[in-house]
Formats: sequence, C-alpha cells, structure tokens
Amino acid sequence: MNTIQNNMKKNMKDNRGTIRKERLRGLVLWGGVIMAVWMLMVSASDVLADGGVNFQCPATITDTTLGRTDDPYIACKHLTGGDGYVRMADQPPPPDGNAAATYIFGFCDATAIPVENVMDDCLLGAQFAAPTLQINEGDEFYLTLTNVGMNVRPDLFDPHTVHFHGFPNAAAVFDGEPMSSISINMGASLTYYYNIVEPGTYLYHCHVEATEHMQMGMLGNLYVHPAQDGTPLGTCAQGNPCTKFAYNDGDGLTGYDVEFPIQISAFDPLFHLADETVQPLPFADMLDVYPMINGRGYPDTVNAGVLTPPAENGNKNSQSVSSLISATVGQKILVRLSSVATIDFFTVQILGIPMRVVGRDARLLRGPTGQDLSYAANSVTLGGGETADVILDTTGLTAGTYFLYTANLNHLSNFTEDFGGMMTEIILNN
Amino acid sequence: MNRKLNNIFKYLLVSSAVLFLVAVWIIPARAAVDGVMTSNLRYTLTAKPGYISVPDGNSIYMWGYAVGNGNMQYPGPTLIVNQFDTITITLNNELTVPVSIVFPGQTSAVALSGSPGLLTKEALPGGFAQYRFTASQPGTYIYYSGTMPELQTEMGLVGTIIVRPNSNPLTRAYSSASSSFDREYLYLLTEMDPAVHDLVNKGKMDQVDTTTYHPVYWFVNGRSLPDTLLPPLYPTLPNQPYSASPQIRVGDRVLIRMVGAGRDLHPLHLHGNHHQLIARDGRLLSTTGTTADLAEMLFSTSVAPGQTFDSIFTWTGENLGWDLYGHALTDPLVSGFGAGDEVFVQTTLNGGITGGATQLQINTPAAGSWPATAAFRAIIWSGGGFPGSAREVVRLKRTSPGSSTFNILSRGREDTSASAWLDGDSIVYTDHGGPMPVLLPDQQFLTNGMFWSGSPFLGSTAPLPPGEGGFNPYNGFFFMWHSHSEKELTSNNIFPGGMATMAVVEHPDPAIAPFSDIPHITIVAP
Ligand SMILES: [Cu+2]
Ligand SMILES: [Cu+2]
Repeated sequence: MNTIQNNMKKNMKDNRGTIRKERLRGLVLWGGVIMAVWMLMVSASDVLADGGVNFQCPATITDTTLGRTDDPYIACKHLTGGDGYVRMADQPPPPDGNAAATYIFGFCDATAIPVENVMDDCLLGAQFAAPTLQINEGDEFYLTLTNVGMNVRPDLFDPHTVHFHGFPNAAAVFDGEPMSSISINMGASLTYYYNIVEPGTYLYHCHVEATEHMQMGMLGNLYVHPAQDGTPLGTCAQGNPCTKFAYNDGDGLTGYDVEFPIQISAFDPLFHLADETVQPLPFADMLDVYPMINGRGYPDTVNAGVLTPPAENGNKNSQSVSSLISATVGQKILVRLSSVATIDFFTVQILGIPMRVVGRDARLLRGPTGQDLSYAANSVTLGGGETADVILDTTGLTAGTYFLYTANLNHLSNFTEDFGGMMTEIILNN
Repeated sequence: MNRKLNNIFKYLLVSSAVLFLVAVWIIPARAAVDGVMTSNLRYTLTAKPGYISVPDGNSIYMWGYAVGNGNMQYPGPTLIVNQFDTITITLNNELTVPVSIVFPGQTSAVALSGSPGLLTKEALPGGFAQYRFTASQPGTYIYYSGTMPELQTEMGLVGTIIVRPNSNPLTRAYSSASSSFDREYLYLLTEMDPAVHDLVNKGKMDQVDTTTYHPVYWFVNGRSLPDTLLPPLYPTLPNQPYSASPQIRVGDRVLIRMVGAGRDLHPLHLHGNHHQLIARDGRLLSTTGTTADLAEMLFSTSVAPGQTFDSIFTWTGENLGWDLYGHALTDPLVSGFGAGDEVFVQTTLNGGITGGATQLQINTPAAGSWPATAAFRAIIWSGGGFPGSAREVVRLKRTSPGSSTFNILSRGREDTSASAWLDGDSIVYTDHGGPMPVLLPDQQFLTNGMFWSGSPFLGSTAPLPPGEGGFNPYNGFFFMWHSHSEKELTSNNIFPGGMATMAVVEHPDPAIAPFSDIPHITIVAP
C-alpha cells in the first residue's frame, strides 16, 4: 500500500477520538428527538392499523431463518433497515487490536423477533452482508421492511427500501427504486410481495440514496431454488443423480451437491467515516480499499462462524455470513456469485478447480432455441449488479485447500494491510 | 433537483413545440432514435468547439461533430444509414488541431482525402478530410476521432452509426425476426474528467495527462440525470440534442442500442425486467444467421469501451400474482392488445374435479402457453362469459414441465370456495381480479418518489399528499435504467445525477394512455 493510504489511515485514527466525543454530544441532543418521533409513531399506530411495526404474513412461520411457514408455498421474512458497525479484517477485536469498527448502514433480520421488540433489538443491528434470503420457485414471498432509524445519525431521517435486483416483470410499487416508488419512513413497516416465478441467483439492496446506502452496506444475497429440485437428473457425487439444481435445466447440467453464495463488494473507509461523523460525503473521490466477500476480508472470510461483534453496536452479531466453502471430493459445488461493488469490476478465479458457468443474471445459460451457452472457464468477471452461477466439479481432485480470489490482485488487501481482501478457501475433504 | 424535475415535466406537456425550432427537415419518428439521415448518401460534419451543460450548473468546454454548419453537439450526430448504402462523409475542421474519423466495424472504410495521420487521414485546422464506407452489415456501430483519440473522444468527438437492414428497415435491427422491435432507444455511455477540458480550454493542452484520468461526470447520450429525461432538442441544452427517456407500452418490444463510448466499463442495469441481448458489435448473436439462438437474458449488461450491444426489453407484468390494473373479478378485461392483455390463456378442464381434488387436468393446446414450471393464479368457472358468477380462484403448478396435469397448490382463494367442477368447464391463467396481497402503510409513513403515481396499479390514480409525486404520464410505471457502478449516479460529487435515466411503461389501452411519445427527431441532412 502506498503512503497516501497510510496517511489516510493515520488521519482517520487521529480524527476518531474527537469525532466520537462530538458524536456523543450529538446523541444526547438527538436522542430526545428520535424518541419523540418514535413515541409519535407508536401512538399513531393505535389509530392506524397499518402504521408502526407491522409484519404482514398470511401464514404461521415455522422456520425464521428460511422464512418458511406452515403453508409450503408461502415464505415470510422481516428485515429492518438501520445502521450499525462491522469489523474489517484489519480491525481485530481486543486484545489483539484496537476496538475501532467500521460504521455501516444495513439490514437486520427481525423474523424471529416479536414485533414489539424489533425497534430495540434491531437498533444498531445492521448486518453486513445483509441476511441471506433464499426462497423457492412457486413461493409467494412476503418481505417486510421496518425502518428502525439511524442511531448514530439521528439527523438523517432517511427512508429505506428493498430492491429485489433482477425480479422479472417487477411492479413499480415493489421495486424499491425510490424515485418511481414508495420508501418506508422511520418507525414504520412496508411489506413487499413477490410471486416467485424465475429461479436463479439474484441480489438485493436498499435503493434509497443508492450511492450512499449501497456503499454503506445495505447489500445482500438473494437466490431462488428451482421447481426442478427433488427430481433426479444428471450426475452428482458417487455417481448418484443430482436432486438439487440451479435452474430448471431438464438435463441436470446445473445439478449440485452443495451450494454457497459468494457476494463480492468493497468499502471506502473514508466514505464510512464521513457518514459516521456527519461530514460531506466524498462521492467523486470514492475509492474502495476494503475488497470483501460476504462482508468480510480474508482471512475473516474463512471463519466458519459469526465474527466477534464490535463493541460499538452493543456487541450485536453483525457479520454472520461465512464464505468458507467445504465439500467432499467428487461433489459438485454451486457457487452463486454476485457483485454489489459500487465502483469497480472484479474478476474472480479459482486456483486448481475447473469452473463451468451455467447461469448468468438469474437465468440458465441457454439460448431461446435451446442452444447450450454454458462454458468452461477459469475466471468470471462481474460488474456491480451482475450475477453468475458456477458449477465446480471436484471429481478426481486431490483433497486439500483451494483458493477463490480476485484476479485484480491489488484487491487482495485489507486497506493498508497488503494481505487478504477478496479471497476465500475451498476445503475439499476425502 | 426536485424543482428541476418539476420543470422538466411541465415542459413535457409542451415539448412538441420544440419541433419547429430547427431549420431543417424533421420527421417526427415514433419508433426511431434521434439522429440524422441523408438524402444523397453524403454527410458533411464539422468539428468545432462549444460548451455543454451539466446538472450541477457548470459548463464544460467540448469539441464535437456538428451536422453541416449546425451546433457542435455531444455526442456526435447519430448517423442513420441503410444497408448497402455507400456513404461519403466530408469532415470540416474548425478546431485548432487536426481531427479525423475512424469507423470501427466498417470493413470498407477508406479515407479519400486529408492529411496523413496515424490511424487515418486527418482534417487540418481550417481544412477538411473525406471518408467513404459501404454499410455492408446492419447494426449499431461507433465512430470517433482517430487523431489522438485518447484526448479527442474525451473532448466529445464520438458518435453512433446505425445501419438499418435491407429488409424491414423500420421494424428490425437486423434481417432476423428475432431483432424485431416496436420502439428503439440509444444508450451511448460516456464519462468525463472536467480537468482535462479546463486545460484544453485554457490552451494548456501540453499539460493534459490522460493517464491520471479522474472522471466525475457520467452521461447517457451526452446528458446526466435529470437532463436525460428532457425531450430531444431541448432549448437550454443546444449542444446536447439527444434524449434518453424510453416510453414503452405494455408488451412492446423495445430495442436498446448500447454503445460504450468512453474509456471505462459500465454495468448498465435495466429495472423492470430482463433484457435479451441479441447482438454485439453489429452482429446478431447467432450460429445460423437467421435467428438469435445465442441470445442471453440479462438484468445488467457490461458495456465496455468501443463495444456496442443490441438488446430487446419487454414488460408485460405477467404473473405478478395480483391484478396489475387493480380490477375486481367482475370488471371488464384489458384485452385486444396482444402481449398487453391480462395474459389470458383460456382453456377447459379435461375431466371434472371434486371439491377436495388436489390435481386437475386441462385440454391442450392452451396448456403449452401456460407457465412451464412457475406457479400461477387461475380461475375456474362453468358456462359461457368470463368470469361466470360461480367461480373458484386457484393457484396451480405443473406436475412436470410439458405435462397438462397441474397440482392445485391452494383452492378457494380470495373469498371463492372450493367446489366441484365438470369436464369442459372453463379455466383461465390470469391475474385478473387478484387483490393487492398486502396492505400498504398509510401515506404518513411513506416517502413518495416523484415518479410514483400514488397507486400500485397501472393506469390508476390515487390521492397523493400535496407536492409529492404525480409526474407520471397516464400513471405508468417508471423504471430506472442506470449504471450499477453506483458511484456513477453522481455529477461532480452531487447525488443523484450521472449515468441514469427513467423508462416508463404505460397502459396498453390508448383510451387510458394516449401514448403521445416524447417526440423523436430524425433530421434529414440536405
Ligand atoms: Cu437504505
Ligand atoms: Cu437500480
């Protein structure tokens, strides 16, 4: 890393103490305001049945993680939009490192939280990557978004949305793009409805003040399992037919044994600091120096569990999505690749395992007359808002550790730390 | 931003007046991109300096190609020619440096006259050069200056050539039926570093270093949001004549010609639906030459420098799961508009079902055009006219692709009840009458977008709070089409701006949406 970035980092640390004191003073001032607004919302909700926190789900939830209900064709999830903190890979928890964490905007999974506790429990509860949403073709998907407000930025009365990126034949009301649609204000809930008709790898993000809210981390994995799941087709591990597929291929080409979402993104720490400290946002000078997979830089990507939560958000788990890929030799691995990077294109490579790209942008790579457009590759290049489905066939490979990483080698770094970044491991066991 | 957009939409109401402001022969072309045709196989272009406006209020010094003695323009004129035409272009140079034109993708291009240059012959200051090519293949092509192109394309000397196919020139991009379209739009993508333009304007061209390039403006057709939404030939943008605001009717096939005319890649994301990528660099994606069998469905296309793509976008609202038009079951249908119908594919039951049945069979051939794997809403009734007073709403899914047996996922939906039906009773795949599945929060909890109609339903209105929304022609659905490198949604450090446009999908019934297009202007050069 160059000296400019070292200076940036030093300045950030110098500024931090002062800024935090300022922030605390602000909190006292704004705390009263935010409480007053909430109380207004709560009292209003007595009058308006559709105000306040309102999780609309027409069935009874049986699995809060997957959002399954007692109706096999109805899925329900409850997310909140707000702020919080995460640790970059060069910001380890004490005692090894300092306690500084990175300020984010993000989504919090409130599906398991009783509605009366959602405002409290998800305050400062933003997660990065956002909670993974996985649903099935044929589902009616009810997704509620509650805006819990920005604890660190109570001066921002920002609404939020969910943009189901790539949803076919979207209606403006549920598109989440705020200019053409509606966004939910602080203290209230909006329920999105999606009739899920096309399987594949999508992604989701908040679209409000898109450059800011996305750079700040309101980004997550979203994928749809196809109707073909459960039908034996093609060849998977031990020569058995596959029963899980990326798409309705009719021939098992997209069949797999295990699947992993791999979402690439990157942060600009100065932008995050500016947002945290109520400074003008550096849009034009935005420079991503924390390249990540599923909200972590290597080696945090291979931590199979939840990262140690930062003290700044009250020790709430905020980085729950591991990128460690593990499989048994002979299995087929589906890598659901997506990019939500806000500046750069990235090329992803896997050392030593052949890739077959079978899907792109949530569609089977097959032409309108049935022409097979899938291809063998050693790299996939994605711009922001693009996805690809990659099958890794591990038949005949040697057990061991393989690497998935960006071929944009300058992004194998965690800010000034010349090591890490956009990389994870694939562990093949015998 | 809000006031500006407000003005834009006030202006839209009177935009057709602009048509009369230009002193050349203009054809308002409903389906065509803005551009310049020729009546005699010749174009005269003039390279000259000028200024463009950007949304933060700045003016940027530019070099551009003008049509004849007209205004310098950014991007250069879109030259619309016919396949097999042999086109002669005379380039006059009013700049203080040599300029030229190169024609990537035109294999027969030759420089007839001019001063020798590296890539092609050049027009010296005050002089001219002449080029000729035969447009042998239809498609979308780029042209730009071949003289110091790293500086001169940045300065604005870049444009599009559209070659219309010999057969069906106004309804197809290529000879193939898979390239047929109802409307077409150009998306020429560029970025800009104003520091370069400042130095050139101050005569300090020797200080320009294009390797330290730092773009802070991003453009579609030479304009940044919200100017992209203004009509073509807008009076306050005299040097940025081209619009980028698609108007689409439900079911239309919309051709989008994407051109990478800068030096960066841009992931162009179209909200609303997937688009089908049918051609790259002026060639149909095809093994056969007759149909685009290599076409891909994408929600974003990475447009790289120098590349062109042709894509087809269609929006039908099929299988939303609720009635797009907000109808009750007893309301009249939206029908007779082809793909803009309420997606009715009607058939009959093959064998009766009991009130407790979990599967049903239908008669072909309608079965083939029902969803192959997706679940969908259907209505069963007995006897004649749709939708019979006795009816049942169900949700169905094929037992396997191609089968005409369906699992009934749920029965007696929407206040109907599960009952017995007879062989030959009617059944239709439709969202007609499907209620809004969720309760929307009260207005006080919502922020309304300025392109939000106030209603979830196409062609419908609902009361909006004063001062909000309402810029929504005939209550269409707006969709943002933009670069998904979100940094590029800014103009000189100001959000929103940059490489973004809004496309609107309108109701198919002309009685509800008369569809007075934002006019598209084809100038025929004398
Ligand atoms: Cu947001
Ligand atoms: Cu978008």
